[in-house]
Parts: sequence; structure tokens; C-alpha cells
Amino acid sequence: MTRFYLPVAIGVLFFTFWYNSDIQEIAAGVAIFLFGMLMLEDGFKLLGGGALERMLEKATGSTIRSLMFGILSTTVLQSSSLVSVITISFLSAGLISLIGGVGIIFGANIGTTTGAWLVAGLGLKVEIAAYAMPMIAVAILLVFQKSKRLRGIGYALGGLGFLFLGIHHMKVGFDAFKDEIDLLRYALPGLLGLIVYCLIGMVATVIMQSSHATMVLILTALAAAQISYENALALAIGANIGTTITAIIGSLSANFQGKRLALAHLIFNVATAAVALVFITPLREVVDLISASVGIADTDYALKLAVFHTVFNVLGVALMLPMLHRLIRFLETRIAEPVPDVSQPRYLTEAVDAFPQTLESALRKEVMHLYDNAMELIFHSLNLHQHEVYASDSIETVVRQSRAPYDLDIEENYERRIKSLYSAIIEFSTRVGERSIDADVADRIYALRDVAGDIVQAVKSAKHLRKNILRYTLRTQGSVTELYDSLRVEIARIAVEIRKLEQEDPEERTALWLDHERSQVEEDARNAARRVEALIRKNQLTPNAATSFLNDSDYAYGAMRKLIEAARTYYIERDPAIAEVEKLLSLDEDELIDPHPANAPSPEGHKSVVENE
Amino acid sequence: MGLKKLAEKLADYKERLDLGQTQEIKPNHVEKVLKKLRSKVTELEADISEEDDPDKKERLIRKLSVAIEQVARAEWLLNEIHTEPEPAPSS
Repeated sequence: MTRFYLPVAIGVLFFTFWYNSDIQEIAAGVAIFLFGMLMLEDGFKLLGGGALERMLEKATGSTIRSLMFGILSTTVLQSSSLVSVITISFLSAGLISLIGGVGIIFGANIGTTTGAWLVAGLGLKVEIAAYAMPMIAVAILLVFQKSKRLRGIGYALGGLGFLFLGIHHMKVGFDAFKDEIDLLRYALPGLLGLIVYCLIGMVATVIMQSSHATMVLILTALAAAQISYENALALAIGANIGTTITAIIGSLSANFQGKRLALAHLIFNVATAAVALVFITPLREVVDLISASVGIADTDYALKLAVFHTVFNVLGVALMLPMLHRLIRFLETRIAEPVPDVSQPRYLTEAVDAFPQTLESALRKEVMHLYDNAMELIFHSLNLHQHEVYASDSIETVVRQSRAPYDLDIEENYERRIKSLYSAIIEFSTRVGERSIDADVADRIYALRDVAGDIVQAVKSAKHLRKNILRYTLRTQGSVTELYDSLRVEIARIAVEIRKLEQEDPEERTALWLDHERSQVEEDARNAARRVEALIRKNQLTPNAATSFLNDSDYAYGAMRKLIEAARTYYIERDPAIAEVEKLLSLDEDELIDPHPANAPSPEGHKSVVENE
Repeated sequence: MGLKKLAEKLADYKERLDLGQTQEIKPNHVEKVLKKLRSKVTELEADISEEDDPDKKERLIRKLSVAIEQVARAEWLLNEIHTEPEPAPSS
């Protein structure tokens, strides 16, 4: 299908250009208008510096806030498509809720009506091409500046200039066109007209992927008396359905949440359009009443169309808002959350690729997904079950009671659940790192990649333990079993401590607490070596078993160090200045051996540290 | 205490700050971390007083020694940041 789309589209354009040269002017007007929208989007992206994304994160606290954000952002950006694509991206990255996302889409439908007002109120009444030329000329000067801000202003100004120029060319095209062909002859009255023109409006918007461009086309054609007011109303309704195509395309690369939002967008716009079509006569009367009350002339069909566009979108929101929770339940049932495939990345979808905030957040979640997989595999390789360890007050007891072997193909599990995710994380972070993103964000992306590397190293170390865990811990064999049990306990203890840190309120926790575990690991490693020496001297451990244990303890303590290192980097403060404080206060490797040598602490002796404050 | 090491790390941080490679640490940044470290000391002290198992108690005491060391370092750092001369205003 897509293979034929481009040649057919070009063929149709050439045919119509040959049929009537004035269509060239209209088509060029549409093209210039769309180009202006792209420039405007680029300008706001440069100017915003992520401000829009940051606001979006905070704007979904309530339905009303989401709605207001959708209205405002679409009014400023003059593109509901851009707002819906950003919303899908944020939803896919887990930064906003589905109900918040749907609220924004509802708001965007109201925000987009400001475009019709702009064109009907200003674009068709003032000779805007006169403003467009100097705007474009000044804009191009700014676009070539080094400063990001000036470039942003340049793109936004140029975008606006091209929007104006596009409208001008459409107007000129229709004016010339009407001298030769009177499209009004093709106007269809009644229900047939409503349906046919509604379909035309929908198809035109799907092709141009912009309801804005369609609305401008309708308004200019209406102003040139090339279409009837009734048919223009139907075209506007159709454009509202067609505009959902951008969200649908955007959702193809998104996860199930993005797809739910695109479906919500489609349901909202189709339902609104259906209501508008059914109640077209009373709606027209309402539009006439409003127009008369605000002083719009009865024959000013362009402004009346803008009133109609606003009324039917506001009506749609008013009708759908009370049903919002029911709609969310329907979406959740219709597009069910897929049973998680642990071997596939859950968050690193193409939909999160466009914005720094979604990139970082998605990568963070994916690294946590890798950690969850890794801990499950590490626990199973030790013949332990996470839920038993986490639920118990005594890890030692759980370990002593865990003598049954866990049926596990560790290599296959490593390939499927660890390596596949790690590869996706490496590919993603490398790809993202090559793009021009803020140095702070890039640093955090690379740090998260390193966290993933540490987690993988920990799993690799745990893999080495598996053989002798099976050999020495399935039944009690004296000292050697106790030694291996102690390694199992210590690894489990680290997992428990990391879990505690994860469950703490982010405002109350600090990665510095992990220094306690780092110090303990070094102490345990030294004690284990001393214990082995003592057991050999007492002939309670064969040299073979001792050698195996010393090798394995290297792997075990290596795994613990890597897990702690991963957690320290993952949970370091996001505020760069506080992160610096944490780095300064953190103990170095050589300080871990004896952090407080002068006086071994006693609980009583240390009370003063806090009480003296 | 590892204050000598901390002083070296602080000097290194100041160099990076002068080069514009990092953000300036203000007293409230240190105070925020210090508050969390002190809360951990309190928590560990409570745990130690409630713990009967000698092995577990020993581990908690070791943790406490690290926590106290971190509090001492944070206090030293806070003092250093407080006594830092204000940069001369640019004319």
C-alpha cells in the first residue's frame, strides 16, 4: 500500500496541475503552510529547551489541569498533532498516566480551534502576505546564528511567516480558480452532502496530516465562495476525524499505553463528529445565536465556521468528560497490557526517542527491569527464592532451609533475560549519546549504561557459583556447606539492603547508606579468608574444597561489589550539587577496610553524635 | 577520620568548579545530606538497642561506625562550605 502511495500522490498532483494551473497555487499554499508548521515546531523545541516536556510531566495532576495544559499547549504550538505525539511519547515512557494523557488530548481538541479563529479573524481579513515577507527574511538571519535561543526565535518567526504566506497563496489560488471553475456547482445539499464532504475533509486531513491545514483550506475556499457554508461545516467535522491519523501513526511505535491513547483520541473525535452530524441543525442555530450575540455578520461564514468548530469541540469535551473513567476502563479492557516478556525491552520503544526526559526515564525503567531479571536469576542460581528472603526476618534461617535445587538452565536464562536487555540498553544509550542532548542528561544516560554493565557483571559472577552451590549446599556436608551458606546469606543480604533503599522515600534516602554495606562486604571477605585458613589448619576443610571456595568467594564478593556499585550510581541524587556532596562524602576503597579505627563504636558512645546537634 | 582524603577530594572538586565542569555546592545541599545521615545514625542506634543476636548486633555496630564517620565528614564539609570566602562581586 505505502509503496504505491507516493507515485499515486505525485501522479494525482501532476494531473491536477495539468488540468488547471491555478491548483498549483493552492497546492503550493498548502505546502508552504505545512512547511511553516514544521518550522514553528522546530522553533518551539529549540526555544523551549525541554520546558514543554517538563511542564507536561507536572501538568497531569488532575483532569482539569491536563485539559488546561492540552488547550494552552495546542494554542501556543498551533498543532494538536505535535501535542498528541509528545503525549504518546510521555505515556509510553511511563511519565504520565493514561487518564492524564486523555485529558491532554481532550484539551488539544479545544486548543486547535484557536487556529480557525486566527485564520478567519486575521488571515482572511488582513493582507498578511505583506507581513510574511519581512518575517521570513529576518527569520533566516536568525536561523544562521550560533545561539540556540536566537535560532529558536528564527525558526518560530519563519514558521509563522510561512504560515501566513501559505494562507495568502491558498487565497490567491482560490480567487483565480473561481473565475474558471465554480466548485459551488458540486455542492451537495442534505444528508448526502454532509456525508460526502465529511469524508472529503477526513481524507484531506489524513493526506496532509494536519487538521489545521485542512481548516485553512476550508476557510479560504469558503471565503472565495468556492464551497457552501453547509459543506464547509461537514468538511470541518471530517477534518476532526482525520486528524487522529497522526496519533495513530505515532502509536504504532509506542507501547500498549500509547496505543490506548491513540484509540481514546479516535473515539473522542469520531463520537464528537457523530454528535455534530446528528445535531447539525440545532448546532447551526446555536452558532447563529452566538455569532449574532458577539457581532459577527450573518454572512461572515468564515468566522461562523470558527464558531462552529469551537462549539462542536467544546461540546465533545463536555459530553465525554463525565464518561472519562468509563472510557479509561474500556481502553484498558480493549487494549490489555501484554503479559510481560521478560526478555524484551519494555520501555525502550521508538516512541520515547524524541525527548530528553522520556529518553532518561525510559532508560531508568529499563535498567530497573534488567536489575529485576538479574536478581531473580542470581537468587535462583543460589537455590533461593526472592519472596522468601524478603519476607523473612532471618536470612540465615531461609538459607539453611533452602536445600532443594532450583531447576535452572543458567546459560539459557542469561542469554534470554539478561544479555538481550543489556544489548538493547547499550544500543539505546549509544544511539542517544550520539545526539545533541544536554551534557547533564548525556552523563546520566552513560551512568545508567554503566549501572547495567555492573548488573551484568554481577550475574556473570553468580553464574560461576552455581556449580559448587549445587555440589555443597543440597545437603549438609559440614564446614564447606557452612562456608557456601555464608556466601548465599551475604549476597541475599545485599539484595535486601538495596531493596530497602528502593522502598525508601526518595526525599529521605541517600546512596551514601550503601557505604555501610560496602564496608561490611570487605569485612566479610577478610573474615571468610581467615575462616578458611583456620578450617584447613584444623583439617575440617580439604585443600580442594578450600581452593574451590576461595575462587568462588572471589566471584561472590565481586558480585556483591558490582550490585552495590550499580545501586550507588542508580540512586545517586539527581540534583548535580547534592550528587557532588554525596561523591565527596562517600568512602574510598581503601577507607572501607577500617572506616573508624581509633575507637570501635558502642551504641552508647555514639548517641552524642545526634544528640549534640 | 578520612578528613585528609576528603580535603583532597574537595580541592579536586573546586578545580572542576573553577573550570565550570560542575555545580556549586551550597550549605543547604550539605545540610540536606547531613539530615539523612543523622536519621540513619538514629535508626541504627535504635536497632542496636533492640537487637539480641550478637552477630547481628556486631554488624549493626559496624554500620553505625560508618554512619558516624559520614556524619563527621559532612559536618566538616559544611564548615568548609560555610567558611568559604564569598566570591568578589564582578564590576
